[in-house]
Amino acid sequence: MTETIQGATRTNDQQIESIHVSRFARLKNVAITVVNLTIFFVIWELVARAEVINALFFPRATEMFAALFNGFADGTIWPQLSHSLSNFLIGLAISAVIGIPVGLLMGASKVADLILSPYVWAMTSLPRVALIPLLILIMGFGNSMQLTIIVLSAVFPIMVNCMAGVKTVEPSLVRAGEVFGASRPQIYLKVILPYTLPFVISGVNQGIARGLVGMLIGELLGGGGNGLGFLLDKAGEQFDAPMLYATLILLAVMSVGLVQAMRWLEQHAAPWRDISRA
Amino acid sequence: MGQVEAHSAPGAQRAADDKAPEPALIEAAHVTAGYDNRREHTRLIALRDVSLQVRPGEFLAIVGPSGCGKTTFINLIAGFVKPIEGSVRVRGSEVTGPGADRAMVFQDYALLPWRTVERNIRFAMENRRGHVPKSEQAGRVAQALELVGLTGFEKSYPHELSGGMRQRVGIARALVTEPEILLMDEPFGAVDAMTREAMQAELEKIIAETRQTVVFITHSIDEAILLADRIVVISKRPGTIREVIDVDLPRPRFDEQADVQRSPRFGEIRSHLWSLLADEALGAKQEGASR
Repeated sequence: MTETIQGATRTNDQQIESIHVSRFARLKNVAITVVNLTIFFVIWELVARAEVINALFFPRATEMFAALFNGFADGTIWPQLSHSLSNFLIGLAISAVIGIPVGLLMGASKVADLILSPYVWAMTSLPRVALIPLLILIMGFGNSMQLTIIVLSAVFPIMVNCMAGVKTVEPSLVRAGEVFGASRPQIYLKVILPYTLPFVISGVNQGIARGLVGMLIGELLGGGGNGLGFLLDKAGEQFDAPMLYATLILLAVMSVGLVQAMRWLEQHAAPWRDISRA
Repeated sequence: MGQVEAHSAPGAQRAADDKAPEPALIEAAHVTAGYDNRREHTRLIALRDVSLQVRPGEFLAIVGPSGCGKTTFINLIAGFVKPIEGSVRVRGSEVTGPGADRAMVFQDYALLPWRTVERNIRFAMENRRGHVPKSEQAGRVAQALELVGLTGFEKSYPHELSGGMRQRVGIARALVTEPEILLMDEPFGAVDAMTREAMQAELEKIIAETRQTVVFITHSIDEAILLADRIVVISKRPGTIREVIDVDLPRPRFDEQADVQRSPRFGEIRSHLWSLLADEALGAKQEGASR
């Protein structure tokens, strides 16, 4: 019994310690990131000033920031950014609403899997760009075409991950459910769904990455005249390198922000999963 | 040595034919069980014509070479597997599925990683079958945790615990509904040797208190002798009962004074079991080589 108690205290100490370490590590990480980015932009500025590369393709960092600031000030950026962002979030929401239940169903039911999987796998591996001419044919250059390509990009990774989640549930956990009196629906609700949650989240994560590509394809090739893709296209046509870079930076910030939000969600929705180790 | 054989031979027959004074709690009669491989249209027979009775309050250990059908046997009692032939009865009624009278402790713990220790134990009480009123649950959890020496860890998650502590949670979850039968499938197979010994001692203490009937699978001869009232030796696949050995060592066996592990009787049983299993292992190997 003494051994139990000793073992117990040891684990408790470790817990408290590890919290200290992670808090310190986070502060350190923020500091490193700030220094890192500062150095990056300083080097950028210096290289651009040395004019090693043609200024037409490679503006100074300060010019890029000026374009970014002016773009927001004179209202050229914000409408496009909000158009892209809202389109993307709506598309992602639709993808989740369709992809999660269908994926779970495919994982749980062999018949559903058998019927749906050829289409799902074909759509998962088909390059999205290939669909653009058809979608334009059907829907024209409007917003619905842009939205559709986002959904078609994001929905399948979500589906496939949810399906994999259900299929990889530890058999012993399901057995434990049976032994301890859970009915079939209770096993789904209390064992399989929570087990699948991290898979759902990583599916949505992949959906974000693919969905962003879909969003840009739609805006660049769909010619709808709005969105960040349109901004890129226009800046390129006008040889407006600072604006081009500013838009790219915006896109990077947007995608990093979304991925970070998902990581936060993952940590709070699945605290039992040790993210830092993965 | 001779005494051991006198106790047990011929084990399988005796278990099947003997009319024990007390009615058997678990009764397997001429059970054949296996698994279908639908793709290859074959059936793997894991157990053949196994007859065995488990008396109420008995601690029964099952040993045998890997793949001999030990787990199949415990799965039959649990109700996960249905026999191809024969029947498995608990208190006279045929096992058709899992039931509240039987709880299981899994080798890989099978704790829900997203639930705290407390909520993992509650899991055994909150489902449709074996439901315990909510007002009673907290008291029962506290009791079960005290029994396994984990008081104070209610709010910990399984990943914060060591293997030994996780299995304590597994045992507490199995005991919390006070089932008649405790099925343990190599419960200490995944914990380190030191912890394993401590856990064995504690299991003996716990069972002395709760008086469950235990069916315990193990690879370890010493573990079987130290814990069991009877040991069933199963032969290589298809598993049949090779011998049933009575372990007539005094309890408690983990008392330091008694030092059961150094008693001559322990040595006798041990070497007898050893030769039986060596036989089986050798047989399995030769068969594997000739294939």
